[in-house]
Amino acid sequence: MASDTDVSLLVIVVDVNPIWWGQQAHREPEFTLAKCLDAVMVLGNSHLAMTRSNKLAVIASHCQDSYFLYPTKKSADNGGDESSSGDGKYELLSATNNQMAEEIREILSKTEVRGNSTDTLLAASLAKALCYIHRVSKELEVGQEMKSRILVIKAAEDCALQYMNFMNGIFAAQKQNILIDACVLASDSGLLQQACDITGGLYLKLPQKVALAQYLLWVFLADSEQRSQLVLPPTAHVDYRAACFCHRNLIEIGYVCSVCLSIFCTFSPICTTCETAFKIQLRQMVKPKKKKLKQQM
Amino acid sequence: MASLSEEVLLVVKKVRQKKQDGTLYLMAERIAWGPEGKDRFTVSHLYADIRCQKISPDGKAKVQLQLVLHTGENITFHFANESTAVKDRDAAKELLQQLLPKFKKKANKELEEKNRMLQEDPVLFQLYKDLVVSQVISAEEFWANRLGGVNNTDQALYNNNKQEVGISGAFLADIRPQTDGCNGLRYNLTADIIESIFRTYPAVKQKYCENVPHNLTEKEFWTRFFQSHYFHRDRLNTGTQDIFSECAKQDEKGLKSMVIQGVKNPLLNLLALDDNTLDEGYGVCSPQPSTSVANRTVKESSNSAIIKRFNHHSAMVLAAGSRKGETLNDQGSETSSTDGNSRDSDCFHPPVKKAKLQEATEYDDLQGENRPKTVPLNLKKSDRYAHGPVPLQSHQYTTSQDIINSVNYIHHEMSNYKPNLTQVMSSTAASSAIAALSPGGILMQGGAPQAIHQMIPTDIQGELKHLYVAAGELLRHYWSCFPVNTPFLEEKVIKMKSNLERFQMTKLRPFQEKIQRQYLSTNLTGHLEEMLQAAYNKFHAWQTRRMMRKT
Repeated sequence: MASDTDVSLLVIVVDVNPIWWGQQAHREPEFTLAKCLDAVMVLGNSHLAMTRSNKLAVIASHCQDSYFLYPTKKSADNGGDESSSGDGKYELLSATNNQMAEEIREILSKTEVRGNSTDTLLAASLAKALCYIHRVSKELEVGQEMKSRILVIKAAEDCALQYMNFMNGIFAAQKQNILIDACVLASDSGLLQQACDITGGLYLKLPQKVALAQYLLWVFLADSEQRSQLVLPPTAHVDYRAACFCHRNLIEIGYVCSVCLSIFCTFSPICTTCETAFKIQLRQMVKPKKKKLKQQM
Repeated sequence: MASLSEEVLLVVKKVRQKKQDGTLYLMAERIAWGPEGKDRFTVSHLYADIRCQKISPDGKAKVQLQLVLHTGENITFHFANESTAVKDRDAAKELLQQLLPKFKKKANKELEEKNRMLQEDPVLFQLYKDLVVSQVISAEEFWANRLGGVNNTDQALYNNNKQEVGISGAFLADIRPQTDGCNGLRYNLTADIIESIFRTYPAVKQKYCENVPHNLTEKEFWTRFFQSHYFHRDRLNTGTQDIFSECAKQDEKGLKSMVIQGVKNPLLNLLALDDNTLDEGYGVCSPQPSTSVANRTVKESSNSAIIKRFNHHSAMVLAAGSRKGETLNDQGSETSSTDGNSRDSDCFHPPVKKAKLQEATEYDDLQGENRPKTVPLNLKKSDRYAHGPVPLQSHQYTTSQDIINSVNYIHHEMSNYKPNLTQVMSSTAASSAIAALSPGGILMQGGAPQAIHQMIPTDIQGELKHLYVAAGELLRHYWSCFPVNTPFLEEKVIKMKSNLERFQMTKLRPFQEKIQRQYLSTNLTGHLEEMLQAAYNKFHAWQTRRMMRKT
């Protein structure tokens, strides 16, 4: 039973890869980064409005670094002078929105053109989110309990180089009972599917990007206890097949080196990664015996 | 009348049965009763049919004997002879007591065992109902694998499942004599107490066997036992007329031998323990041993006698518990088994002793660290771990021009970013999203299989479980026949296949029709059908191979 002082923390990780979003603007002009950020703000406001003890954090995942959009160091210092907006909105919400807008403007204005890294640093943002959750859990009052979850809004494609870090982050989240939800805008991501399956979150690939806010509010606003009462999209089958290290093909049955744990599709007497020699007994081929037919008179 | 070849063991006149006067006859193999004046027996039962007998309690006016048959029937005989009713009844009872055990059929024991197994295991009971009662397989096949060994040593098996009941240390104290009113004491002896006394003091048991029933009756024996000083607290050595004075001497011998054997635990020095202390906290001082008995006060000697009695009693109780139902016939082994030390000495064989010494003298924390030697891992191609077991994906390459364009565009767009939360999306977009998320929408497909256990009613689920258990049992019998080596297995295979077919006809088809009638579209019996089909295929293959071998 959740008491009044139980804290529910939602960390939203938004993929703001400028290259992908710049190209997206040409592909689909009615859904731009601005619209996406608006939808994220709607979700954040709704989460804060649900219960007074709810907490929010938003991380922007860029190709050079990952930045906190909310809460930021500046907000803690200023104490929210410019938080009063004219429309009578709840002050916390307007403060949040203003901070987020300011931060994202600053981040994107400082973006430099670099050719070598065009991938979103999603694994790094995930790690930052986990650290933030850990820090907040240490700052709780005595007797307060916290449930946290991470929502990843992904735009660009998967980066295979982040595989190890990503998996480490996923298992760390699983150990801490942190759900990872995923809302995928464009192409399916195998890593996020695995993350959602392992931690018990929801994976959703949007059929329509324009209605992002609606999907976010319907599927991702409720926390894990409330989700059992709702009728939500069912979990799809996750393809956990691994790819062999030699050909990068997906295999169902393979050979694993017991020393370095690298996966191969065929047996070779020396592991190419760690150069350990192996001996394996192959089954003796039994020649079928010819039965002598008895001559019956 | 009875056939003349039957030997009549006891005849009791004036026995009423169902309010009719008559005579009771106890024969070699049966008990019979005939009414007064008639030649025939109206009531006759073999001893083998009688499960047990009961008698009415002593205080009741009616002196009765009741026979309980295996079928559950009760037959009551009322002994109506005024003077000798109780004697007659007791005579009949004693004779029956001796005769009934001889005739207990072994087959009935088996039936009882089967009943017991069926009662204890509800799954087995359900399986029995499904398979045997509905004639799918015969009862012998069902019990073939399950009983095995009941006929041989059933008593021993039964006993092995039960734990031995130990002896209460206070059994003598529990006897608790009651005053009889006029200066006498009344001791209530039950069979349990008698058994405890015999198990703890084999000497007393021996005396009993020697004297009863030749010299003394049971009652007299126990009266003497309780009167003798052997039983009482202060065991002064009385004259030799008391039959129990020998027992007292034996006990003394036993106690001495126990003390001589001592405690064999090398880690414990019992003799160093002492009760005499200098003062609190100042340790133990060993007093001068006084060897002359005359120096002790009267109180000390009576105290030591009681303590000796108690020690001896406890040692005997423990020894009796560790004997575990062996029957001791020779006196020679008595004293050797009276010490509870035997278990201790067993415990100190060399490896156990060494382990105990090590435990007592070494501390794990202070040992040096012995980490196993490891081989370092040297990776030649560690970049493989960077991407891990992820398949190659087609990478979309962006040209540098693209990158520059995109970044500039984003700069431009987001420099004036202001959240416009009232215009986040249009209502048509929202309603189409809702439609997609509602049950039946494009995102909600594929949720049905998860709820199958909620869609099928529980009684159908229960029936399906029973079907699976029954089918599993039949298939187990069937598949255990392969490979078919002996003609017995051949017959069994053919029989089992016909059993499977019968099972499918009588149980599976009606169930399928039933769920079809209830419009449950899910295929609940598909797997069962597959298993049966696999069995049939194997049978066909085997049969064709057999035909080919014969031709």
